[in-house]
Amino acid sequence: MLTLLRDLRRLRQAAALPRPDRGRSLTLRHVDAGSCNGCEHELTLASSPYYDLQRFGLGLVASPRHADVLLVTGPVTSRMREPLLTAYHAMPEPRRVAALGDCALGCNLLGTREAIVGAVDEVLPVALRISGCPPRPDEIAAALLALIDEED
Amino acid sequence: MSRDTLQQSIDAGSRFAALYASEDSVRTVLVAPNGETQVIQSPVVDGHAQSVVDLVPAASWDEREAADLYGIRFDGHEPLRPLVDHDPDLRSWTVPVRGHDAYQVAVGPIHAGVIESGHFRFHLVGDRILHLDARLFYKHRGLERAAEGHSPESGIAFAQRACAACAVSNSLAYAHAWEDALGLAPTRELARSRTILLELERLWSHLNDIAAMCAGVGFAAGNNRFAGLTERARRLNDALTGHRFLFNTISVGGSALTLTREQVMHAREQLEAIRDESRRAWRELLFNASFQDRLPDVGVVSTDDARALGAVGPAARASGLAEDARTSSRRLAYDDFQPVAPRRTAGDVQARLEQRAVELLQTFDLLEPLLDAPVDPASAVTGGVESGVGIGRVESPRGATVCVVERADRLIERLHLRTGSYANWPVVAHAAAGNLLPDFPLINKSFELCYACADR
Repeated sequence: MLTLLRDLRRLRQAAALPRPDRGRSLTLRHVDAGSCNGCEHELTLASSPYYDLQRFGLGLVASPRHADVLLVTGPVTSRMREPLLTAYHAMPEPRRVAALGDCALGCNLLGTREAIVGAVDEVLPVALRISGCPPRPDEIAAALLALIDEED
Repeated sequence: MSRDTLQQSIDAGSRFAALYASEDSVRTVLVAPNGETQVIQSPVVDGHAQSVVDLVPAASWDEREAADLYGIRFDGHEPLRPLVDHDPDLRSWTVPVRGHDAYQVAVGPIHAGVIESGHFRFHLVGDRILHLDARLFYKHRGLERAAEGHSPESGIAFAQRACAACAVSNSLAYAHAWEDALGLAPTRELARSRTILLELERLWSHLNDIAAMCAGVGFAAGNNRFAGLTERARRLNDALTGHRFLFNTISVGGSALTLTREQVMHAREQLEAIRDESRRAWRELLFNASFQDRLPDVGVVSTDDARALGAVGPAARASGLAEDARTSSRRLAYDDFQPVAPRRTAGDVQARLEQRAVELLQTFDLLEPLLDAPVDPASAVTGGVESGVGIGRVESPRGATVCVVERADRLIERLHLRTGSYANWPVVAHAAAGNLLPDFPLINKSFELCYACADR
């Protein structure tokens, strides 16, 4: 256990993470509206020791009721449209929607008309667009930090 | 008639690989121990086809899917519950569980963490799971239908987009299917290049799975350590191919992948470092009693159940089935490949975790000789027998993935992709029964299946 923790500390030092300049936070609730799992994997690693999203005050929360931002991945499938809307309506105001990844932005969608509704902005008002297929963890972090700056 | 053929082939040692429908018939794909595939066709008459679930329980989800997507009634499959279609009536898709104090817990489709969408309905008494109904296909995008009419080159996007975590496996199964149909055979160089990509995908995937299992019991230090190693593996992918998930590296009939001497050297150095660090981190997991205490005798799948349910991949091998598509992958560079097994093949969470660890080491061993020289672009050679149906079979990080292409000249008439995740989802539901609800995240993570791969 001690070796693990020592290794982790070394890893964080090696990653040369910048220190956040002031205290502030934004809570995120992720919803997979029909993605290929690429954005999920990169978002997961954004919380890993190489990026450590939490140190900027960006935390993923379990419930939309605790969230400032709904982070939506994938094209919206017809079967995920309702759950996505339910999650959005459960959020307290003010609330923002971020579309994560090219599919969420409606780029080069693959699928049938019956199965796919379309880009996230066809269902919800989108405040932040993060492009990439999938966007890298540092790109995800940078885009979300810009959203915090905007809020200031 | 077709049922007799099916029974004979199974008696002769063949295994069920896929079942899919088109408007007028149902096709069952079997694979013999030597990797030879066989397609058995049975007609759809007035919307009815004969079920084979009594002979092959593993075909249950396949028939339910075919029923939903093509409106086929499978005679003998009772009750034929919807799978892809989401009926709001609970009684139509859940198994009735009655009794004193039995109640249900509904989870999803949106989960608490960064997890794909899918719904689980647990039937419980106290904390004990009596039965689990998994309702997936929230992410169904109709990829197979949408691929129809596409060329071999443009159609590969549909296989790749099915799942980022299995992008190489799925697109390689697709490429193999087309090459089988077009009578193309890979050269040694092409086989080597593709085997490198497939093992690189397994590398990051297995590291990710070990991290996920640590997360499944809330062991943050182990999770972060292996997440860090996953990141390094993905950076290596990026350095070699320009994409962290190896997207667009597979194509039909050849490969454009070039790895210079410097890139190959870099890869060997990185792999050496990742191997040493993952060994060290793994040792730490072994000596962490509070972590290890959670693993044995949880989510047990017996050898017989694994065989009957059609389990594949590390999960099947952890249950004692020595099956691995790599042993019969003639289109890839797996000479003299032997599947590895953990110390104890108990079919529980611990065995599945250990299986990842031993396979991870095997992947390093496989990659080392494959990366002994620069990689150049390569093509498949023509001259084989052409056919209207091509089948590709690849061992993905989650198990055997089968792709079938039915063609009209050089266009896709029907595409079917049955991934390792699809094969194993019913096994997860089976493994959950009898366990405690709080152990489900761990059981689920010990399979670490993709939803996207199954939903397509």
